[in-house]
Amino acid sequence: MRRLVLLLALALAVPAAAQWGGRPWHQLTPEEQQRAWQNYQRYQQLPQQRQQMLERRYRQFQALPPQEQQRLRQNYDAYRGLDPGQKRQFDEKYHRWKSGRPR
Amino acid sequence: MRCGRAQKLLTAAVDGELSPGRRAALDRHLAGCPVCRAERAATQSVLDALDALPMVAAVPAALEQATLRRVRVLAAEEAERTARSGWRAWLPLPALAVTAVLVLAIAITRTADDRIPTSGARSPERIARAHPAQSHPNSAVAVAPPAEPPPALAAAPELFVDLPMLRNLDKVKHFEAIRTTTLDDETPSGEEAPSNG
Repeated sequence: MRRLVLLLALALAVPAAAQWGGRPWHQLTPEEQQRAWQNYQRYQQLPQQRQQMLERRYRQFQALPPQEQQRLRQNYDAYRGLDPGQKRQFDEKYHRWKSGRPR
Repeated sequence: MRCGRAQKLLTAAVDGELSPGRRAALDRHLAGCPVCRAERAATQSVLDALDALPMVAAVPAALEQATLRRVRVLAAEEAERTARSGWRAWLPLPALAVTAVLVLAIAITRTADDRIPTSGARSPERIARAHPAQSHPNSAVAVAPPAEPPPALAAAPELFVDLPMLRNLDKVKHFEAIRTTTLDDETPSGEEAPSNG
């Protein structure tokens, strides 16, 4: 019975994942599954408006060419690697840059 | 700007995602509206706390039902015993409460043990070391993901893998341009800082 439920869940999840783009759950590594699960629980705490914004960003990200996705991942790794002081300065620069950016 | 509009913009404002014009309009409203100021503080604290959320072990519905069933059985047995020994009539209520708490505590402990593998690549400690920036230090209990993920997670698992990056997407997209932006108190790279002497 349990196996049947699991198969049914997978059968439903695979087309849904294809619709969103990206790999289905069972193709994630155990580490990625753990990270996704933790982030999912955090996501559940967010206001609905914020959740929708993140879903929009995810669709935008999925629509980017693979090289661009790779570039953004590298940039995120660099951003994550900043120490707290560097991060604070980067965020200040971000606000400065953003206020001067043509819209 | 009315309060309803201001409150819709608060989350974006806290994340620094408003245009300068909207930001200024919102700031003007906040300056004169204590209710919206309090709302902004609350929004800020929610978002700040987001990354610091401890991982709480969720009790599965089946376990909860089984525990309640067990408590009901114990209650029935206790009632039967009480009927047989009248002088202990004062005993059942506290005894039941203690039993219920003990059963629940044991059940939760056993479930947590079952769900956290003791070795191998899925060890939460090992994952926390592998992804230091994405696993919060306060995550005392990193619960293993369920075998069957919830529908939203199953539908777009990579959305959740990449959630921290998506949250900072604008910064990540323009990382180099932002990094080379200079602040008022900063010397552009390649120039010497002005001397005070």
